[in-house]
Amino acid sequence: MKVESDMKPIVSMQQVVKTYRQGKVDVHAVNNVSLAIRHGDFAVLCGPSGSGKTSVLNLIGGLDVPTSGRILVDDVDLSTLAASELAEVRKNRIGFVFQAYNLIPVMTAYENAEFVLNLQGVSEAECRERVMDTLKAVGLEGLEQRRPDEMSGGQQQRVAIARAIVTSPAIVLADEPTANVDSHTAESLLDLMQQLNREQGITFLFSTHDQHVMDRARRTIRLHDGKIESDEISD
Amino acid sequence: MNLNKLAWRNIWRRKRRTLITAFSIGFGVMLSVTFTGSGDYTYTNMIDMGASMGMGHVTVEPPGYHLKPTLDKRLTGTAKLQQQIMALPGVAGATVRITGQAMFASARKSVGGAFIAVDPEFETAQNNLLLRSIVAGSMFAESSGRGMVIGSKLAKKLKVKIGKKVVYTTTDAHGEIVSDIARITGIFTTGIDIVDGIMALLPISSVQKTLGYAPDEATLIAVVISDQRHAEGMRDAIARLPAAADTAVMTWKKSQPDLAGVIAFDKAGNYISQFLVGLLIAVGILNTMLMSVLERTREFGVMMAVGMSPGVLFRLVMVESFWLAIVGLLLGVIITAPWYYYLYHTGIDFSGAFGSDFSYGGVLVDPVFKVRLFKESVMAILGGVFTLALLAGLYPAWRAGRVPPVESLKTI
Repeated sequence: MKVESDMKPIVSMQQVVKTYRQGKVDVHAVNNVSLAIRHGDFAVLCGPSGSGKTSVLNLIGGLDVPTSGRILVDDVDLSTLAASELAEVRKNRIGFVFQAYNLIPVMTAYENAEFVLNLQGVSEAECRERVMDTLKAVGLEGLEQRRPDEMSGGQQQRVAIARAIVTSPAIVLADEPTANVDSHTAESLLDLMQQLNREQGITFLFSTHDQHVMDRARRTIRLHDGKIESDEISD
Repeated sequence: MNLNKLAWRNIWRRKRRTLITAFSIGFGVMLSVTFTGSGDYTYTNMIDMGASMGMGHVTVEPPGYHLKPTLDKRLTGTAKLQQQIMALPGVAGATVRITGQAMFASARKSVGGAFIAVDPEFETAQNNLLLRSIVAGSMFAESSGRGMVIGSKLAKKLKVKIGKKVVYTTTDAHGEIVSDIARITGIFTTGIDIVDGIMALLPISSVQKTLGYAPDEATLIAVVISDQRHAEGMRDAIARLPAAADTAVMTWKKSQPDLAGVIAFDKAGNYISQFLVGLLIAVGILNTMLMSVLERTREFGVMMAVGMSPGVLFRLVMVESFWLAIVGLLLGVIITAPWYYYLYHTGIDFSGAFGSDFSYGGVLVDPVFKVRLFKESVMAILGGVFTLALLAGLYPAWRAGRVPPVESLKTI
């Protein structure tokens, strides 16, 4: 089924182009992409290596700036923002889950999850309540004081998910979140994210090669050579 | 978790590297304490020694006497001025003196030299080096007597001993040649060849009569103060005294320019040494912080991705430099304390390398290497090392926030 909706999008990419210079050649990592992600989406960006999945995630996440076109996140035009303003958008509206977990090794699970709330200036009492609730929601109750090197890969990725959702962001961007874990752990992580999407209405956008992830997605956006090849919602 | 806590944990990620850097800061503190403490001790010693050789820390004299010290120039009303100076806080002693050149003659030989005419009532071992260097006989007791204390080398040249007569010839207040006779009551050895070879102490009242001076006339008042660092302030305070009108008041820097020059030159060398030590410390910290930043590029990318601004990241690395500096300073205090204690109380004896002449810049120096730190020097060392550590952290901190997160995340 082709995606069509009148609902106001959380993310809107409008004719976005991202060109990198490699030696003397211009590479169009993202080539005139227009895309809308709506509240409650559980969508995947898929496609072969070099198709532009990560570039699209980086652009939506404000980690990179487009060569041309506009990107709106919660009605904020990212293409007009300075580095510090982009950091504000990331802090308050976007959650990130990375392939390699990327937890801060000197912090416990609790502190990693608390990190962004501290950046937001949330009070200690509120931090504690939200972090404990979130760690419970991702199945890490009792492991709050463990450091990353004391946890399995699946547990570390759960901490990363907790860090991404604890601020109630407009969207969670997950770059191949199951690529570094075994299939059993991958299934349980997908269960968790699906549950968070269903029960808490958190919007997820993944980039993946993993067929299991694609099978779970309600919307599949297929990229090829920096362009959207197809964008479909499963029934 | 606040930035302080995170920065503290970050510096202990690589304990060995942090400890090596902290120890290098600590050794820097130790070297700096040694250089500065040696300077504080030696310069104070030299200045105090110089002051006790005749001119004091602050000298009050007739205008122009400093440039052309002739006996026709003289202070009047010295007793009143001396009294007012003695009443000033911080004054350890104020002595009225007449200094001049003379020809000394014994029955067997004549030698050119210089004299300081003093009142034994006001002279103490603290304010008079020659007095505390008496090795034979004693100081004359009366200012109107005919006693004389001379340097051991001068006595040797004149071939005289205690109890022998010496005739001194000089020019009086009117430029006439005058002579008087004195009997040697004591012989001093300061260890400074030139002082021991030409100097003599004479009773001031007798010299005043010989020179045609009134009883309260002299060529200078030598003021010794309890802390040489306050010489400028004391000079200004004395200059404001009513009785000091029509006098020239100067610190030891002007009255003893050779000594001031030697100290300034030595200080410059000391500063260069300290600068080089500081540079080594700074390079060590810079290296550590830079390595620490470079190996965490990806982590910084993650931090920025989740919303940390480049400014906060800059602060984080600066706080890490702060903690490194604190640890280094604490280690510095720990390793420096016993070293300082030893040098302060015992010191290292270099008298074997000095020979018999312990003078430098015209004053006697202690051949034992000792240290003494003024409070302001302690603050300067701690503040200087701390500032250096923070400055060395600036570039790594700036660099940490400069790499765009998308590039940082690509690094392994």
